[in-house]
Amino acid sequence: MTNTLKIDALVVGGGIAGMQASLDLADQGYQVALVEKNPSVGGMMAGLSKVFPTLDCCSCITTPKMSAVAHHANISLMTYSEVQSVMGNEGDYQVRVMKKPRYVIEDECSGCRSCEMVCPLDLPDYDNEYGRGAHRVIYVPFSTAVPQKALIDIDNCIYCGKCLKACTTNAIDFAQQPEYVNIETTSIVLATGYKTTPYDAKKEYGGGRLRNVVHGMMVERLLAPTGAYGRQLRPSDGRQPDNIAYVQCAGSRDLTLGVDYCSRVCCMYAIKQAMLLAGALPMADITIYYMDIRAFGKGYEQFYENAKAMGIQFVKGKVARITEDENQNPILRVELIDQNSRVVERKHDLAVLSVGMLPGFDPNSMYGVPVDKDGFIKAPNPNISPTLTMREGIFATGTATGPMDIVDSIITAGAVAAEAAAYIQSHNGHRQLVAEQTERSVTHA
Amino acid sequence: MTITDKEAAQKRTAMLADLRKERREKVEHAQSLLKGQQAVRKTLSRVMQGEPRSIPEIAAATNLPPHEVLWHITAMKKYGEVVEDGMDEDFAFYLYRLAKEPIHE
Ligand SMILES: Cc1cc2nc3c(=O)[nH]c(=O)nc-3n(C[C@H](O)[C@H](O)[C@H](O)COP(=O)(O)OP(=O)(O)OC[C@H]3O[C@@H](n4cnc5c(N)ncnc54)[C@H](O)[C@@H]3O)c2cc1C
Repeated sequence: MTNTLKIDALVVGGGIAGMQASLDLADQGYQVALVEKNPSVGGMMAGLSKVFPTLDCCSCITTPKMSAVAHHANISLMTYSEVQSVMGNEGDYQVRVMKKPRYVIEDECSGCRSCEMVCPLDLPDYDNEYGRGAHRVIYVPFSTAVPQKALIDIDNCIYCGKCLKACTTNAIDFAQQPEYVNIETTSIVLATGYKTTPYDAKKEYGGGRLRNVVHGMMVERLLAPTGAYGRQLRPSDGRQPDNIAYVQCAGSRDLTLGVDYCSRVCCMYAIKQAMLLAGALPMADITIYYMDIRAFGKGYEQFYENAKAMGIQFVKGKVARITEDENQNPILRVELIDQNSRVVERKHDLAVLSVGMLPGFDPNSMYGVPVDKDGFIKAPNPNISPTLTMREGIFATGTATGPMDIVDSIITAGAVAAEAAAYIQSHNGHRQLVAEQTERSVTHA
Repeated sequence: MTITDKEAAQKRTAMLADLRKERREKVEHAQSLLKGQQAVRKTLSRVMQGEPRSIPEIAAATNLPPHEVLWHITAMKKYGEVVEDGMDEDFAFYLYRLAKEPIHE
């Protein structure tokens, strides 16, 4: 089945940057389509616990935006969808989008989860809980997902039919096929975000091999009330940790990984998590091993000072290697920079790798939009117009353009909406002028 | 023409059987996962009959690795089959017991 949509702006990626850009454009009266590859909008922010430096609850900020994009009259939201092809030229793009089958009819599903409750098989939840939690074969992705619609992991379905019986709206459709939407759009906004450096990339840190070596996003889920454990527990045995280490620059500023840049958020999220852990586990010792602390934003330096005042230990040192003892306690081999590079071994019971940011998507082959040496989208004039790309009519925002925090992602979303709106205006204005001139010359002939 | 509940149920059963046949390999894999899970859950439920227990205690009683027990308990807690019930004496581990009225059938 194929539908056609004529719009002013296609936004690709439904994280905070894409959602904000969509809302800013839609509020000005432009017609927007927002395409998100995952079953819910929200992006990485939907998985965070609280945000630095205010320690506001993350869901409380994200959920209203997620809901707003789903209900805005000028936004067509397409989740679990991917762009298949982009044709055309400046100001006149033809885009084909595929909606992947959920095997659940979206319009019929009420999100009641009756199907999920009767489904017999639990699977590790890699998408939202990094394997620590579970979801069923039929499931609503997470409690604040937008849309609140179930989907089926069809490759793990045994077709027992329990969900069919439990569903009161007859929403389940095992025969569902991909659907296609043809979009004609004046502009495109790329908001495809970031992924974190794989935590097993640096073999000497033992990520993925040592059970009590985790990464920053896993700790966000330990701290979130909706997280898999609903508690702060060690993955190896469920014990509450009481001696936690943070390893900074575990995937940034590291030439051995080909990542020579600073990811800009890791110092701040480590400090944030350390403060939240100190609040949740008042008896715990927390140490942050760092090379430099980069507290660059408004209120960030004060945030760092508050953490020190709370008793978080900051140790200037480079972690060379992590091993574990017979109780699976991580042992960090550290070069203490402030102590004549003395090398020591320190035992902790949980080690957190402050992993950095890598680009989430390479748009070059599909959109003809080149990326920089670091893989993030290239801007022709990064200092004056950071949201322009090398291709006219295609713009970029948020972490798709480079590492940044939520505040900066929202700022660049506002900026991209302004750039795109000006472009749509000039382009559509120009189109109208050409149409008027053609009409005049035809009348005069 | 309206179809009766019985006819609808028959149609559904036939459709599911067809799907199972059509996607046999994947279904067999999922069935083996389910069998494994059911066996583990049965063991866990057996050792959790009495007092609330910690993950290492359950692991020791079942001979399962503690991280695996934690994953199963986490899943069972999410779906209302297990509840948390206090902590051990050292305040190091949470204790878990079976829920009185499991949501899962
Ligand atoms: C552990 C950790 C903690 C953090 N804590 C904080 C904090 O406290 N405060 C703060 O300010 N910042 C924090 N950050 C940074 C914050 O997560 C980012 O700044 C923010 O989420 C970036 O939003 P975004 O929309 O640019 O990208 P994303 O959130 O990555 O969103 C991009 C979206 O695009 C989708 N997408 C990607 N490719 C495609 C495609 N081809 N087609 C369709 N959709 C696609 C993705 O699925 C995703 O939904 C933290 C980061 C980490 C790693």
